[in-house]
Amino acid sequence: MTDDLRFVGGSYPVHDVAQKVTGELVYGSDFSLPGMLHAKLVLSAVPHGIVKRIDVSRAEALPGVVKVFTCFNSPMDRFCRARIHPGQDLATHDETLFSEHVRFVGDRVAAVVASSRAVAEAGAALVEVEYEELPPLLTVEVALAREDVPIHPAGNVAYEFEVEKGARPDLDGAVVVSSSTTTPRTHHGALEPHVCIAQGFTSGGMTVWTISQGAYAARTVIAELLHLEYHRVRVVKVPMGGSFGGKTEYIVEPVVAFLAHALRRPVKLLLDREECIAATMVRPATATTIRTACSASGELLDFEAASTLDSGAYASSTPDYSIHMCKKVTKLYRLPHYHHRSRAVLTTTPVGGAARGWGAPEIAAATEIHMDRVAAALRMDPVEFRLKNLVLPHDTDLVTGLPLGDARVRECLERGAVAFDWAARRARPAGRGRYRRGVGVACGAHKNGMFGAFPEASNMALKMNEDGTFELSASLHDPGCGVVTTMKVIVAEVLGIHPDLIAAGEADTSTTPFDYGTYGSRMTYVVGACARATAEKVKTRLLAAAADLLEEPVERLHVVDGTVRVREDDERAIAYRDIALLSGMRHLPEISASLTYYAVSNPASYSVQFAEVEVDCATGLTAVTDFLAVGDVGRAINRGMCEAQFQGAVQMGIGYALYEHVDIDAAGRSGVDGFKNYHMVNAPDMPDVQVLLVEHDGDDGPFGAKSVGEIATVPTAPAVVNAVNNALDTQLSDLPLTPERVVAALAAKSGEA
Amino acid sequence: MELLLTVNGSLYEVNVHPTARLLDVLREDLGFTGTKEGCAEGECGACTVLVDGKAVASCVMLAVQARGKEIVTVEGLARDGELDLLQQKFVEYGAVQCGFCTPGMLMSAKALLLANPVPSDQDIRVALAGNLCRCTGYSAIIAAVKAASGQEATPLMELPGAAEELAAEVQTDPDTLAAAREAAEKIAGLGPAPHGEA
Repeated sequence: MTDDLRFVGGSYPVHDVAQKVTGELVYGSDFSLPGMLHAKLVLSAVPHGIVKRIDVSRAEALPGVVKVFTCFNSPMDRFCRARIHPGQDLATHDETLFSEHVRFVGDRVAAVVASSRAVAEAGAALVEVEYEELPPLLTVEVALAREDVPIHPAGNVAYEFEVEKGARPDLDGAVVVSSSTTTPRTHHGALEPHVCIAQGFTSGGMTVWTISQGAYAARTVIAELLHLEYHRVRVVKVPMGGSFGGKTEYIVEPVVAFLAHALRRPVKLLLDREECIAATMVRPATATTIRTACSASGELLDFEAASTLDSGAYASSTPDYSIHMCKKVTKLYRLPHYHHRSRAVLTTTPVGGAARGWGAPEIAAATEIHMDRVAAALRMDPVEFRLKNLVLPHDTDLVTGLPLGDARVRECLERGAVAFDWAARRARPAGRGRYRRGVGVACGAHKNGMFGAFPEASNMALKMNEDGTFELSASLHDPGCGVVTTMKVIVAEVLGIHPDLIAAGEADTSTTPFDYGTYGSRMTYVVGACARATAEKVKTRLLAAAADLLEEPVERLHVVDGTVRVREDDERAIAYRDIALLSGMRHLPEISASLTYYAVSNPASYSVQFAEVEVDCATGLTAVTDFLAVGDVGRAINRGMCEAQFQGAVQMGIGYALYEHVDIDAAGRSGVDGFKNYHMVNAPDMPDVQVLLVEHDGDDGPFGAKSVGEIATVPTAPAVVNAVNNALDTQLSDLPLTPERVVAALAAKSGEA
Repeated sequence: MELLLTVNGSLYEVNVHPTARLLDVLREDLGFTGTKEGCAEGECGACTVLVDGKAVASCVMLAVQARGKEIVTVEGLARDGELDLLQQKFVEYGAVQCGFCTPGMLMSAKALLLANPVPSDQDIRVALAGNLCRCTGYSAIIAAVKAASGQEATPLMELPGAAEELAAEVQTDPDTLAAAREAAEKIAGLGPAPHGEA
């Protein structure tokens, strides 16, 4: 099949690259409208309390300040920032535009709207807020212990989930290993801060320009909050500078929409970095304990786990996140028995929610650090141990009961071990001096859309223009990783023309068909399959038109390089341009089609990653010196960007393993207020990342393609942690492995010796 | 205060507050929004511009400090509709994803190549140390800068422009076209087509 592919598997830049290198592209933060006002939020200075009084008089007296909105003069309807459909069951409506009961440092208390950003900022500094403080509940343990201090009326447990599958086996003589792993609260680190622009019209309708990952999803939150019928709220996706999950949910959109609607003016809210870190959303901190039992020969018999997730001040998507932490291990390992409890616990800390991988990097860290300990207990090589237990192609996921599809995780591990020269590197001594080397491996699994858990479908329309080029109408949301290009390549492959001859835009609820948005690793597998099916339908119409013009039966025709050709008679071919021109003379509908595609499966995507590290035992600093990422992506639609996804994901995963954490101090404040104290890996510290893609047919994605963006970062952190533990002969499992933690572990070890 | 600034080869007179940041004057007063703001503390590099040929974070420079100096923003790289070689290589090597760091990366890389026309990989990494990217993992960016310095690097992306060549190739041969036109006229006279989608 691969040989027949003309465009799929090539390498293409992101669709708007030409405007990005010139600076011409207007991002959300660059966007402005005539008469536009600017908003600045006033955020809670206390981690937990009741707002007793807000004095806005000095702010409103400032020339240029239009109005100050607070919890005392704004609607207090509750909404769920993570809701994507009004029919959705799992959605916690616990948030208001402004809070009277403030639940973390950074909770929204008021917004100052003014003629300029500078005036709005000056006005915000003049708003005086009086709080009656409540006990802060800054950790999961404290929040669980203090049931007498409910953060929300329903208590401090946002969600509990438990799954048990298979029969509890006889563990007589089994090797039992326990571990406990924690992962940090982190900042997504998209370079463009959160921004939203909304224009309220006198008539009551409005337009919202969002950099979010779901325009329709944003609309369901905004319209209901403002009591507007959906058709009066137009939400348009504008170019965004990265998301990584941080812009999945609707955090600034409801506020800006409300301000613009209330004032019947255009209003822009652009957050600064400190606000992005503390007051939007973080990757939730987690803690997982695992106890496994293995036969002496290394077959896993039992997997028992308990995970706790710090939801922060609002449930957001953390209930679903906690469910998903229980749905990854059985995509990876064959287990006779699996039991996993998880719970999402509210605390008075920054809100946790969607982050690249949606629970998978968190549980992969716990699982894969654990599996290295099991291998050590069995005195087996980590690769050899995993090969005894990884799933086989076409196994069934024990938890979901869904087929895993053509699951090639073993192939990833086997080919990766060869490419990385694993056996030789693992055998090399770590050294006994100041600098010690080690290698580590980790596996990860993720999903392909929401099939099996949520109605999973997409809609598109595709038409041929009068000159034979094409327009794809779809609600795409490109966070910057090439979603639009992916769709163009898929359509191009079906229609036999270069992707550059296909236009595809992004979501606009007034013109593009319904789609949930860019999340759940659903873009390539589900939305891409929709693009393929829609293009196939258009191709059928194109061939029918060509059949009439060439006076040939459809069966004899095929598409090649922008023409419809007669098989075995290559001389007879008609260019798309001429089909478009001549078919117009038939007074028939244009060559176009629209389609609803329903997903039919949800296989697993896999990645296996290998890290080599050098640890400085004196300073505790770890350098990642070499890295290989192997991915079972089914088929690379856009090879260059597929590889680039892994390279970028490894940057994020190394940060997760070694550097990135947003800690909350005893006063409830974030210890991080900018990139100066939040370290993301920069160019000198990044290793050269080799990428190896495992490709095959056999799943239902377009041309066999599966998801890549999220899975790419799933096993990175545990691969690095396992390498450090290999180098130092330690059992580090609290991420990130900061120099302090590494030095402490070494000190504890020398204390033992 | 009145201030004369030279940006991308043109002279501008602006009226700025003495504490105005160069970044705000470029973006808000002069409309050069290609220069981005990611952190406001000189850490992320998205706001990097050239000041007298050196890479500067414009979020931590006062506009008045740029008086009398030559400022170049990302908008000043392309000349007469032709992309600068660095821009071309960023496209060809897939060095751009979300693109928000791209203007700053380009300007830091430009400053590097002005000072060191044949940089090593390590020179490039160090020159870009103050420019954060969350999408690419930096490899493609480093390769693009290397390629722009004339050193060997393997291109990654299919170049834009292939489409024009492809489109030009596509011509219906005159006999087939004449027959098709006749067929179309015939169908038009017959009403709904045999394959009638309607």
